[in-house]
Amino acid sequence: MAEDPGLSAVEYIDRFFDELRTEIRSNPKLAAKLVKALGGNVVFADEAKADISSPYALASGPKQRFYSVYGALKAPEIKKVLKQHNLATTVDMNGKTPAQLVDMLYERASAKVGERRSSAF
Amino acid sequence: MDGFERSSSDPQKAGKGMPALTAAIANLKGGVGKSTTTVMLADGLAYFYGMTVLIIDLDPQANSSQMLLTERGVQQASDQGKGAHQLLGEFMAGRPANAAPFIMPNAVTLEELRIAEEQDERLGWISILPSHPQLRLREMGLEEEWYTRAGTPTTLSTALAAYFKSAFAPLGSLYDVILLDCPPHLSPLARAGLSVSDVFITPTIADSVCTWGTKQFSEWVSKFVAPDLPERNFVLITRFRDTRYARQVESDLREIYLKDRWFGPTIPESVHVLNAMDRAAPDSYDTFRGKYGGVRGDVRRLAERFTDFMSQRTGATWQKIRD
Repeated sequence: MAEDPGLSAVEYIDRFFDELRTEIRSNPKLAAKLVKALGGNVVFADEAKADISSPYALASGPKQRFYSVYGALKAPEIKKVLKQHNLATTVDMNGKTPAQLVDMLYERASAKVGERRSSAF
Repeated sequence: MDGFERSSSDPQKAGKGMPALTAAIANLKGGVGKSTTTVMLADGLAYFYGMTVLIIDLDPQANSSQMLLTERGVQQASDQGKGAHQLLGEFMAGRPANAAPFIMPNAVTLEELRIAEEQDERLGWISILPSHPQLRLREMGLEEEWYTRAGTPTTLSTALAAYFKSAFAPLGSLYDVILLDCPPHLSPLARAGLSVSDVFITPTIADSVCTWGTKQFSEWVSKFVAPDLPERNFVLITRFRDTRYARQVESDLREIYLKDRWFGPTIPESVHVLNAMDRAAPDSYDTFRGKYGGVRGDVRRLAERFTDFMSQRTGATWQKIRD
């Protein structure tokens, strides 16, 4: 970046944080990553929750929390999560209600966590 | 041919009634795509040619078993007394050789095959003698016991090969092709697997490290198992990244180093294939198109090319049942 003699050091930093704030507002995934890297814990709005959450991470915790994140989603959104995380094929999801899809998401994510978690730790 | 004799079960299908072909998928080098090749080839032969395929997973890493059955399925199979480790236990106990009780009859992941079966019209099928991580421990136990009695790795692999030959013999009448997924080293178990095979499928990657591993494997097999290896060897370049360097290595493999071998199509590196090999659950199925996406043409060409290779070896011809 070329040096701008018209800006002070504080103004440079302000510009940087302004950009960061703008990006964080529109990108909950990045926001979640940055907050996590800083050791923080932020509660995100429902519509952002499913997008930033990992079904594997949630399935390894309380079932109620899992359902609080995914239970409110519509069928296409749940299908997207199932597909993105390789937890179901289109064939598997055909004809399923949203409730059945969430159950499938929970059962399969829990099973994978159980199968893949090292028993040594 | 050294394979297991099969009887004529369906005269309508050309190729039936011929001796089953046993193919070892093997390379000294790990990470070259042996298990992925095993699964892709099994799917391709079952889907396009309606073949009945048996996979025998002799690799303790159990990757092809995992890809077809899932981790849970592998464990469930073991809990039901199925698996190559159980067969090895039979050998250790001195019991009669018979692999049939240890086979999982259904390792199908393709929806089209499942539906055809449901409609009593079997159009291709896949079964598996699965592996399990226990296989490694059992093999180590066997080696310790064998060597304590002044045996050697060679006498052990010879005894295992004889046992496998008897144990697999009845399977020849049930399957069209037997694919033996071998571990990436030359343990007595791996050597026994190679010894009972008619042909050798060698997956490799277009880089110098894998070329070196393939050369070593080729020389070892030529010397100790199959002096006529070139005509029994089917080479497959996998996980191909289209760079100038990779193209050069691929060309060198085809034109110089292994020019006397059969080559399958070069299989590109693909995220879709990685996903396809991660079955969602033991009751999850996908269409062929859904499973293989952009590489389905490569899987088709692999099946076609290998069927040509089979025909050349056995004299039988196979007709496509799907496009």
